[in-house]
Amino acid sequence: MNRRRVSYFEASARVRVHGLVDENSFVELCPAELRKTSPHLASLDAPLAFDDGVVVGRATLAGSAILIAAQEGRFNGGSVGEVHGAKIRGLLELALLTKPVAVLLLVDSGGVRLQEANAGLIAISEIMRAVLKGQSAGIPVFALIGGSCGAFGGMGIVARLCNEIVMSEQGRLGLSGPEVIETVKGVEEFDSRDRALVWRITGGKIRRTLGEATRLVDDLIPAFRDAATRLLARYVELPPVTLDDLQQAQHRLTERTGRFAEVSDGQQIWQQIFSESAGIAGLTVSDFNRLLGDQP
Amino acid sequence: MTAKCWDKLARNRAERLARAQTLVRGRLVAANDIVALFEALIEPGDRVCIEGNNQKQADFLARSLVKTDPAKLRDLHLVQSVLALPEHIDLIERGQVSRIDFSFSGPQAARLARLVEAKKITIGAIHTYLELFGRYFVDLTPRVALIAAHSADREGNLYTGPNTEDTPAIVEATAFKGGIVIAQVNEIVDKLPRVDIPADWVNYVVEAPTPNHIEPLFTRDPAQITEIQVLMGMIAIKGLYAEYGIKRLNHGIGFDTAAIELLLPTYAAELGLKGKICTHWALNPHPTLIPAIEAGFVESVHCFGSEVGMERYTAARPDIFFIGADGSMRSNRAFSQAAGHYACDLFIGSTLQIDLQANSSTATLDRIAGFGGAPNMGADARGRRHASPAWLRAGREGRGEIAMPRGQKLVVQIVETFREHMQPTFVERLDAWELATTASMELPPVMIYGEDLTHIITEEGIANLLLCRSPAEREQAIRGVAGYTPVGMARDTAMVENLRDRGIIRRAEDLGIRKCEATRDLLAARSIKELVLASEGLYDPPGQFRNW
Repeated sequence: MNRRRVSYFEASARVRVHGLVDENSFVELCPAELRKTSPHLASLDAPLAFDDGVVVGRATLAGSAILIAAQEGRFNGGSVGEVHGAKIRGLLELALLTKPVAVLLLVDSGGVRLQEANAGLIAISEIMRAVLKGQSAGIPVFALIGGSCGAFGGMGIVARLCNEIVMSEQGRLGLSGPEVIETVKGVEEFDSRDRALVWRITGGKIRRTLGEATRLVDDLIPAFRDAATRLLARYVELPPVTLDDLQQAQHRLTERTGRFAEVSDGQQIWQQIFSESAGIAGLTVSDFNRLLGDQP
Repeated sequence: MTAKCWDKLARNRAERLARAQTLVRGRLVAANDIVALFEALIEPGDRVCIEGNNQKQADFLARSLVKTDPAKLRDLHLVQSVLALPEHIDLIERGQVSRIDFSFSGPQAARLARLVEAKKITIGAIHTYLELFGRYFVDLTPRVALIAAHSADREGNLYTGPNTEDTPAIVEATAFKGGIVIAQVNEIVDKLPRVDIPADWVNYVVEAPTPNHIEPLFTRDPAQITEIQVLMGMIAIKGLYAEYGIKRLNHGIGFDTAAIELLLPTYAAELGLKGKICTHWALNPHPTLIPAIEAGFVESVHCFGSEVGMERYTAARPDIFFIGADGSMRSNRAFSQAAGHYACDLFIGSTLQIDLQANSSTATLDRIAGFGGAPNMGADARGRRHASPAWLRAGREGRGEIAMPRGQKLVVQIVETFREHMQPTFVERLDAWELATTASMELPPVMIYGEDLTHIITEEGIANLLLCRSPAEREQAIRGVAGYTPVGMARDTAMVENLRDRGIIRRAEDLGIRKCEATRDLLAARSIKELVLASEGLYDPPGQFRNW
């Protein structure tokens, strides 16, 4: 089937990895046949996955060496347990030795795995530290977000530490998930079943509008590949992040916090920025990017 | 000898209208006078139709009827296609309705079953739509019809627009046989976009406080289509549509048929079938048909009703849909049902149970749901006298080489071997038998009779029942596609292999379909959003289907 358009949203972690990198270039590290499963899930007699829900390895993207990790949203919501987290952290630390052009994190996760609470929390902090270490060594880390679990909890924080975030419209990014907010604060605060509202607050379009996501792409694996390839080319020439860059980012965030302090819905942000809100959610990705002035 | 009176109906109507005189201004009635109007007009024992279509509901009139005095309005006989609103059943509980003749009771099926069991109501019969409309003109003519229109002008002309549905059939039967027609409208305007029902067929018009309820019944979110359904869709397209060259058809509602619609611009196009299959339809404006229409697969669609959110799209595709001079679509259930019965070569739909004689039913023990139009679509049109290649081929396969050439309609059930909660679709005995006993029905409620069914498609393949030469072969053909259900496990393996050798059973691999290719990526749209994009923004899905 030559005209098949492979949806990133619906693909498994392995299909995403293989569709993203150069053909036959992926070499999995710590592969499923080693059966590095979660001891915590085993002690609870819960189902295990031989890869603990994350695929890590090296590959080439448009000929450049990269490292890549992909979370499997279909296994425990892509949640980060001890083994899962160690695989991602190990990959990021490997980057310090092998010096790839970039590390790609295909995030699809609700955050820490509840059954492994403390081990998972530690794992997240280790991943965060490893991302920063890699960046200070001049290795950019890109987050790609377009799976059904989005990037929430600790993985939402990790994503925001990355140099770039590529999202599809279906992707979601946030700290506490909508259901968690509703449970804690009540349905008046956030109606998690109002899907349109959830996407207007956490979805790819609003995250791109706010500048948190740096690219918005169609829900197709080749679209993610194209975006990652273009970013890679840019970073070959780019100097590492400086203190000045970080301070500027901090300044922009402070400014934004003031500007949108009273906002409770993404639509109000679009209204302020584009003086139009109703049609934004319905725009195609390319029309939206054009409106934003983004290059394809 | 006294002169025989030939206009009793007209005289009675005049008496009733005279009783209502103080409550009306010309044809207009105020919303808060409607209960009094009913009490003045309706007499005990009247046959009443509260327009209940598949989608459009005369909900304000139904709510108002429930407010009438049960001592005055009693022993009513409801004759309407759908019992969809709780008020329809409330009338029975209040003792105001003692008999019903209908076609479909979807959402009220469980309550109705309880009332039947408690002997609170007599069911005349559960009809097909066309059958009930037929009886409107023979022995079930409504005395009073309470109908729903979009708008009226000050003379009482009505605009029913895209959701015209049953209205013409109801009004014509009632108005021309001494009955009374009362219409609720969303608004009264100076000038209508077009006249769907002329004023002199309508007695009274009332502006309802809220717009009439319309249910988006025909929207299937592509996000919920499974890969099994994609596989069955591929089997249907390659093993059936392509094989017979099906151009004129009707699809039942469901995810299985939605999958077929979404595979036309991708899988069917790759097989080179554009223009060769699925060109002319009797079908509601399914949103999942949009990609096929946009790809140029479809030439014509006549609709039973409309679909919420499809109004702008249908209006913008007048070469495809039936559009009035005002630019909006007109549906008509009676005509579309006739078209589905006589002018289509294939009907395909789903069911809950199929027995070993290939009888199928959606009735289960605690629900009296009825079948709407399916029995009419899913039956050979014995009166058909025009030929088509698909119809002739089915006739040859089913009747053998006999002296008098005659075709047959292709009637197909597309089902997974197990449905929800791991209930087997294939059973030794339909629940319909027991339901007939508990509800004292003369006939078990069968949706499609085995003798009309020509093919069964499951994830295990196609069974071509036309080619079976004995009841025993038919039974094994059914068992042969029944998979791991108890009925399937009890197959005679040798006979099933023999049927497969003869092409009576065809598996995916026999058709050259690779199961690993049956992925959702083959669907022309995988979400409601993609349907909107395919429609160039013309499709406006209702809120419950949006996630943006």
